Amino acid sequence: MSKNVLVELSDALADAAEKTGKATVLVNARRRKPASGIVYAADLILTADHVIEREEDITVILADGTEIPAQVAGRDAGSDLAVLKLERAARTVAEPTKRPARPGQIALALGRPSPDGIEASLGTVSAIGGPMRTGRGGMLERYIRSDGISYPGFSGGPLVAADGTVLGLNTSGLGRGAAITIPADIAWKIAETLARHGRIRRGYLGVRSQTVEIPNASQKALKREQASGLLVVSVENESPASKGGLIVGDILVAVAHAPILHHDELFARLSGDVAGKSTPIEILRGGQPQSLNVLIGER
Amino acid sequence: MNFNGTFTQVMNELVQQVLPSLVVVRGHRFGAGAGIVWDANGIILTNNHVVGRRLPIVLLQNDQEYESRLLARDPDVDLALLSIDATHLTPLKPASVSPRVGEMVFAFGHPWGQRNAVTRGIVSALVSAQNRRGDKLPVIRSDAPLAPGNSGGPLVNASGEVIGINAMIVGGDQSISIAASVARDFVSKTLANQKTEGHAGRRHHGPEDVI
Repeated sequence: MSKNVLVELSDALADAAEKTGKATVLVNARRRKPASGIVYAADLILTADHVIEREEDITVILADGTEIPAQVAGRDAGSDLAVLKLERAARTVAEPTKRPARPGQIALALGRPSPDGIEASLGTVSAIGGPMRTGRGGMLERYIRSDGISYPGFSGGPLVAADGTVLGLNTSGLGRGAAITIPADIAWKIAETLARHGRIRRGYLGVRSQTVEIPNASQKALKREQASGLLVVSVENESPASKGGLIVGDILVAVAHAPILHHDELFARLSGDVAGKSTPIEILRGGQPQSLNVLIGER
Repeated sequence: MNFNGTFTQVMNELVQQVLPSLVVVRGHRFGAGAGIVWDANGIILTNNHVVGRRLPIVLLQNDQEYESRLLARDPDVDLALLSIDATHLTPLKPASVSPRVGEMVFAFGHPWGQRNAVTRGIVSALVSAQNRRGDKLPVIRSDAPLAPGNSGGPLVNASGEVIGINAMIVGGDQSISIAASVARDFVSKTLANQKTEGHAGRRHHGPEDVI
């Protein structure tokens, strides 16, 4: 039978599974239940943090069947990501996508939960969501939901586009049971930090707050249209906020020049590069804007 | 190119190519399985577990019913070969190339009695299952949904060639098909025995068979 569009699509999917399957490894870091990982750099494996249940005797099995000892280079429960360092380099490195996932797009979930071979399931990208609090003290700006079957041991493996590029890393550790995918750009960025520093620094301010509307008069004083801010309802003793001069009744409206409208945005802003740095914090006090420099702590 | 139109047309052609070879096999008093026309002269392949103690009734696509003869059955590969008195049937041939993980598959059968249903998926894994004798049996795991009534039906590739015989449903979301190579060996062995023995290969039947 001559090649038709269906055969071509089928071949393309099998090619994508084969190509990226070479950069999908088995991660042996918990009892009896191996999981998957992505070859992120020649000697670095990106996987899900929750599948690392021990920090010793970790091994990784490559696509060609070789088993290589590995060490934890960095891990972060908040984003459910971990980076393992291999004692010997792997040959094939995964290629992250340059085109972010779009709803409706075909996507393969790959995993290597057994040494017998690569495993795959087919789905479509159902939705792009976020931001989402991970329930482990982290914040995910964006996530991908897809409708393919997530087989046991698929956590840590890649979600792959039809061209074999990696759309993200699949994990069942964040979505309250359901599997979600951490987009490749976010996962790769966190992996870089984990490989270099071993952990993700998360900023600490030491305030409790609630979202409040900002009256028109104050918005005029701010010289921007910002509908809400965070009313400080308590300041912990000796906390970075207290040392920086924040008091109960202040309305927090911006951190490092980025407007803060909701808790999630404050959370996300503090997860970045501000920990340990003196950071301008804009507040409304008595209806008038003020800027304080606060040395952000670290949790 | 009208991609959608082309795609729909190709899908339709594939279904029309496979359906004439799909039969219903009633081997038990309740429920029915599927079967595949393997040879134009009335050779039907199905699962061993679809065939009960009665002689199975085979229902063709044109709704003609046939009483079948049991040529052979083997619980270790979960396959059975039937023969009906019909000619000029449309057989399906096994794929000439090995299946690959990720390739598209279509399962044909009668899930929950729904006749001629087609479900879609890909090859999820190529693994081996162990049978009662301890032999390793190559099987295809796919993410195409299967249900009771799919048993014995074909799993075909994007070209409409048989790559597996749908056999088991494990854990709700794992569908297992017996590799077409196993089916091919089973059929050729059975037919070879038939030739040397003149008729139904009686010696190879187990004690549980009622002929």
